[in-house]
Amino acid sequence: MIDFSAFLEALNIMATSAGSWGWIVPGLVVGLVFSAIPGVSITMAMAIVLPMSLYMDFFSAVVFLTSVYTGAGFGGSVPAILMNIPGSPASYATTFDGYAMSKKGQHNEALGYALFASTICGILGYVLLLFVVEPLANIVLRIGPLEMFAVAIWGMLLLGSLGSKYVTRGLLAAGLGVLLGTVGMNTAGFIRGTMGFPTLLDGISPIPAMIGLLAAGQLLTLAGKDYILDAEEARKVSVRKILAGCWGTMKYPGVLVRGSIIGIIIGAVPGVGSSVGNLIAYAETKRTAKDSASFGKGNPKGVIAAESAVASAEGGSMATMLALGIPGGGATAILLAAFMMHNIVPGPTFIETQKPMVYAIILNNIVQAIALLGVGIGFIYLASMVVKVRTRYILPAILVIATLGTYAVDGSPSGPITLFIFSLLGFLLVRYEYPVAAVVVGILLGRMLETEFLRSYQLSGGDPLYLFQRPGAMAIVGIMILSFAMTAWGKRKQARVEAEEELALQKLHEEEAVAGARKT
Amino acid sequence: MKDFTRRDALKMTGGTLLAAGTIGMPSIARAAYPDRPINIIVPFATGGYNDRLARAFAPHLEKAIGQPLVVVNKPGAGTQLGHTYALQQAADGYSILCTSASPYIPLTILLQKAPYKNEDFWMINLPSRDYTLAATSADSQVKDFAQVIDMLKKDPKSLSIGVQPASADYANMVLTMQTVGIDPANLRIVTYDGGGPARNATAGNQVDVGFVGGEGFIPLKTKVRPLAIYSADTVEWYPDAPLIGASGIKTDMVEGSQRGWAVSAKLKSEQPDIYKTLEDAISKASQDPTAVAALKKQDLSTTWFGPEASNKAFLDNAAKMAKYVDLLKS
Repeated sequence: MIDFSAFLEALNIMATSAGSWGWIVPGLVVGLVFSAIPGVSITMAMAIVLPMSLYMDFFSAVVFLTSVYTGAGFGGSVPAILMNIPGSPASYATTFDGYAMSKKGQHNEALGYALFASTICGILGYVLLLFVVEPLANIVLRIGPLEMFAVAIWGMLLLGSLGSKYVTRGLLAAGLGVLLGTVGMNTAGFIRGTMGFPTLLDGISPIPAMIGLLAAGQLLTLAGKDYILDAEEARKVSVRKILAGCWGTMKYPGVLVRGSIIGIIIGAVPGVGSSVGNLIAYAETKRTAKDSASFGKGNPKGVIAAESAVASAEGGSMATMLALGIPGGGATAILLAAFMMHNIVPGPTFIETQKPMVYAIILNNIVQAIALLGVGIGFIYLASMVVKVRTRYILPAILVIATLGTYAVDGSPSGPITLFIFSLLGFLLVRYEYPVAAVVVGILLGRMLETEFLRSYQLSGGDPLYLFQRPGAMAIVGIMILSFAMTAWGKRKQARVEAEEELALQKLHEEEAVAGARKT
Repeated sequence: MKDFTRRDALKMTGGTLLAAGTIGMPSIARAAYPDRPINIIVPFATGGYNDRLARAFAPHLEKAIGQPLVVVNKPGAGTQLGHTYALQQAADGYSILCTSASPYIPLTILLQKAPYKNEDFWMINLPSRDYTLAATSADSQVKDFAQVIDMLKKDPKSLSIGVQPASADYANMVLTMQTVGIDPANLRIVTYDGGGPARNATAGNQVDVGFVGGEGFIPLKTKVRPLAIYSADTVEWYPDAPLIGASGIKTDMVEGSQRGWAVSAKLKSEQPDIYKTLEDAISKASQDPTAVAALKKQDLSTTWFGPEASNKAFLDNAAKMAKYVDLLKS
């Protein structure tokens, strides 16, 4: 629970280090710009500014870096919504409904929904963190491989809700994705599918692969058009509409809370990060929604669900880093390095002895989330101008930037080569009507599925009854089954209602026909 | 110039560049070393131990050498990419390595058939040493290492063991088990693809005993109980960890990590003057009291062992790893 004297001291730190507040806006802008470039990840944006932060005092450095982190959490959704190309894996689920909204000319609203969901859930995540930073960290340590495997399966179930014309092709594509995701050295030290390339020992780089798969089809589609949006009157950038989207977010508190909880918990688990949370939050929101048929066709709830999970994952990830000194993902690993470079080692001792500082960091993140609202609207306004530009200018620019971005991921040509190969694969998949999304999800989750399954097998010595020794895993599986059963039940009820309506309608028609016959 | 085409423009630009290149080159070659910034190649991503060491040490080394230093991160393939990259650079003293020479150089050679030899590298100084630590969660029922061995002797499946395959830790674990007469094939071994995940699993009681590099446990000290550390002498940064020798088990062991500064062996043999300048600068900076104080605050080592001792330690450990290569292959 919250320690009040430490909390007051934290407010004092915030007040006395007013100079560091000046770093919030530059940090947010850096984060937004970098993560909006397809191929540049949050981790990269932070790695680039890390050396810069060494010349600041500790609190300023933390403020600056966490601001970049906060900005980057949202920036990825901008290209996802406007062009159907996610800036990073974390904003993949945002494309499903975000881009569909753009196609309907609702890009302003979609960005507004995303921004506000991001802000609210960012704040929600940190407020919760203020209360549970210590217990959460201890729970996280208890999450074992079997629980993680259940979570990965849950993510894979998203595929069912994405839907495609052919079930067999969907399964085949998902299988291919999982296989591609397991290329490289696995957790037991076995090397598979590297074809002798040392670069592939770490697996296929997910960011260039994902962008290649998604961008190839998308760019070709766009190349056939003059503008991203067909209707001329839709090509408008309107702050009023963005704000309307922001306001509209408030109508879905349930979606926000569910997304946040999923985001915080998954974000807190070391080594998972936000690329799974957004998929699960999206799938769950879609499954439980009454209007689930309109998901993927521009339902704002889809955007909100995905973005809320991404934004709150940041808080969860920070909790693990502060309380245990364990980075939840690439971005917090860099943050951890920044702490250490300022001679501060996060972990149980840090949180006990330096509670005011921990609170000050959390409070500052809440301030950042609020500031993101203002900076974000400005950024969206500028970024949306892309809809007014002819595609013949945009496409080459995207292609060049994405190639450079994937080159920058680890400064070697392996990034652009991956991008090129997966562009070809993406083109073929689209051409033969295989769902590209299934391959992407497979690549994102394949490694986690295999690793956690293998570890569960090793831990249990091959005994399937091991599941019953792990209440956490049982709970996750239980919730999963329950959620499915409820959906099935709801669907059946809905189907019955629809059938009744149809019957009534049919009767009406018959009666009308009879009445009509009588007239003549 | 009516027919001035794009191709002509290209030719002209190319020509100009070429000319600029040839005029510029001799002057670079003749100037005294170092006359431009030097790259520190770190074969790991930003934020790891070597990266932190490189960045923290850089300002002090800059002062000693008189040129700015640029940290270049080249992560991937268990350091193979970064080490290959370092050897591909011209042997002119403008690229130096800050790396975990052991275990990664021998490991990539033995297990990934990396295209270099241990002798292609020359260690200038390896100040940081890490050792395998057998540990358990603080709330585990396991109290000491003798108990671990007793339980495993009775039933090899009674405890699960978390370890990174193909690591010095794995070799140490297997050597211990063989010494006490337990067949490692019967153990419940859970594999982790890195020290971090293995430590988290140990601290969270996911596995009963973890065999991992000890240094990373320092921030988590309150969450774990050290059982045995694979070092001959008390370890400075973890004095309360019992030595493996104290458990009464006499086992051969491999040193966990040897981290620090290296260059390509080619630089030393072909450019002895440049090499000497570099060695002197690193030696001077390592012993500079302000550097020692600054690095100590970040738990980074600067101890000056010198090239002779460092190369011997590195090659000895590499030979031991080669001897136990079958254990590494799991």
